[in-house]
Amino acid sequence: MSQPTLVVENIVRTFGGLVAVDGVDLTLEQGEIVGVIGPNGAGKSTLINVISGVYLPTSGSISFRGEDVTNLPAHERSRRGIGRTYQLIHPFMDLNCIENVMVGALFARKLPMRSARLVASELCELVGLADPSRRVSELTILEVKKMEIAHALAADPRVLFLDETMAGLNIDETNEIIKTVRRVTEEKQLAVGVVEHVMHVIRDLTHRVIVLDGGRLIAAGPYSEVAQNEQVIRAYLGGDV
Amino acid sequence: MNQRSAIIILIVVGLFAVTLPLYAGPYPQSIGQMVFLYMSLAVSWDMLLRSGQISFGIAGFFGLGAYTSVLTVLDLKLPPLLSILAGGILAGVVALVVGFVVLRLRGMYFAIVTLALAEIFRVIINNWASLTGGPEGKVLSSVIFGGDARLLYWLTLGVAVLTLLMSELFRRTRIHFALTSIRDNEVVASSSGVNITAYLTIAFAVTSALQGITGAAYAQVYGFVAPDGSFSTDFTLLPLAMALLGGVYGSAGPVIGALLLGVASEFLKLYIPYGHRIVYGLVIVVVILFLPRGIAGIVRRKRAPREGGHA
Repeated sequence: MSQPTLVVENIVRTFGGLVAVDGVDLTLEQGEIVGVIGPNGAGKSTLINVISGVYLPTSGSISFRGEDVTNLPAHERSRRGIGRTYQLIHPFMDLNCIENVMVGALFARKLPMRSARLVASELCELVGLADPSRRVSELTILEVKKMEIAHALAADPRVLFLDETMAGLNIDETNEIIKTVRRVTEEKQLAVGVVEHVMHVIRDLTHRVIVLDGGRLIAAGPYSEVAQNEQVIRAYLGGDV
Repeated sequence: MNQRSAIIILIVVGLFAVTLPLYAGPYPQSIGQMVFLYMSLAVSWDMLLRSGQISFGIAGFFGLGAYTSVLTVLDLKLPPLLSILAGGILAGVVALVVGFVVLRLRGMYFAIVTLALAEIFRVIINNWASLTGGPEGKVLSSVIFGGDARLLYWLTLGVAVLTLLMSELFRRTRIHFALTSIRDNEVVASSSGVNITAYLTIAFAVTSALQGITGAAYAQVYGFVAPDGSFSTDFTLLPLAMALLGGVYGSAGPVIGALLLGVASEFLKLYIPYGHRIVYGLVIVVVILFLPRGIAGIVRRKRAPREGGHA
């Protein structure tokens, strides 16, 4: 088997005395969807922030397509193909829908305006976003989430992290996003990391999961196995079982 | 208002602005000069605001440009037109250098440091008497174009047009996407590949250069520089009030604001010689409270009723 696209080794990130991520490993391969789960405060978002370059790690290394990216700034990682969405939706309110999507194509890929617009309109279609010249304030939550996925895809990532994309969606909407994520993963041969609290999403969507608790990796493997793991159950329910 | 009627209005207003000296007397022309110079400052201030950075340092770069222009004419015998360019270049280079430090700050911190910068420039120039003439400043032996009122008018119009062209360049290219995304959410912009430092530095240097050019033109038109006059807070306060009144984040708003407040300020100075600045302050307060997107915002809202104010 060829080298994985993303190799994250022994990442530690502290904030003052708090160890938010404590020695976590993660690999992602093309076409693979990996879940990142754990209770609140487990370090999931911090891990993604470190991988995407929002924070630099305290120690550990991140290698992407054979290149060491551990200390690159966020915009350089985005240009190399590490993409992400954010836990709380963060559209650019002063740009319309298609313009939001264009940003990734304009800066991460350095496309000229005209081709960026073309790419953006294709991506809006791919994620099923109708009438993309609308203002962001006119979109439903589901549409904003789709827009954010399209926005991340516009940078043409090889690795895409979705940070709680399903939060705030009902079951039908969640299923629609699941379908969208599957479709784009297949079509673009992405490596996808999914942070999620909704367990049926993890069950339906991922090939395998890693479980974090208190910043540490406590389990890894297919969902069906991990869900039986006693340590995982204890982490979620708290205390001794 | 569709695109075609907008273009027609633009052509009519443009023709009127260009031909004004052919039928108007010297007084309207002198008002025109002031309005165009302030318009250039208001538009350039708005250009940086589009990235979310509020500058209170307009007068600093304006004054640097003014001094550079006068000193290069007096000491280096540079032709006046070239000296205006020199004023812009110096202001731009200074902004580039201090930008590396200052642009680490955001919001109020950035605003206050730019205010302090303008004061630092003034103090340096005030005390570097061997070069700058100290508190008395310097006087040009002759005004640019031999003081031909029409040419002076067209020079200031040219400065305003230059700034407007740059503003539209900012508005219609990827710079617009960079600055708007930085204003809306810097972290997400960075994750989308936007090089925040590079774009903020470019915007700060370009807008400061435009303010330097404006100051240089002002010095050439009026023929003198002095620390208190050339770094006057008027050159910060009035453009800010103009842009806010007209409406921010575009070229049209600051232009409208400059026309209204520019003409009004002529009369205010006559009727309330020492208190006219109070009016600019009031305009700023009232507009921020009741008209956050200015006059242009009202027009836009009328055209698209759903737009409203969004978070």
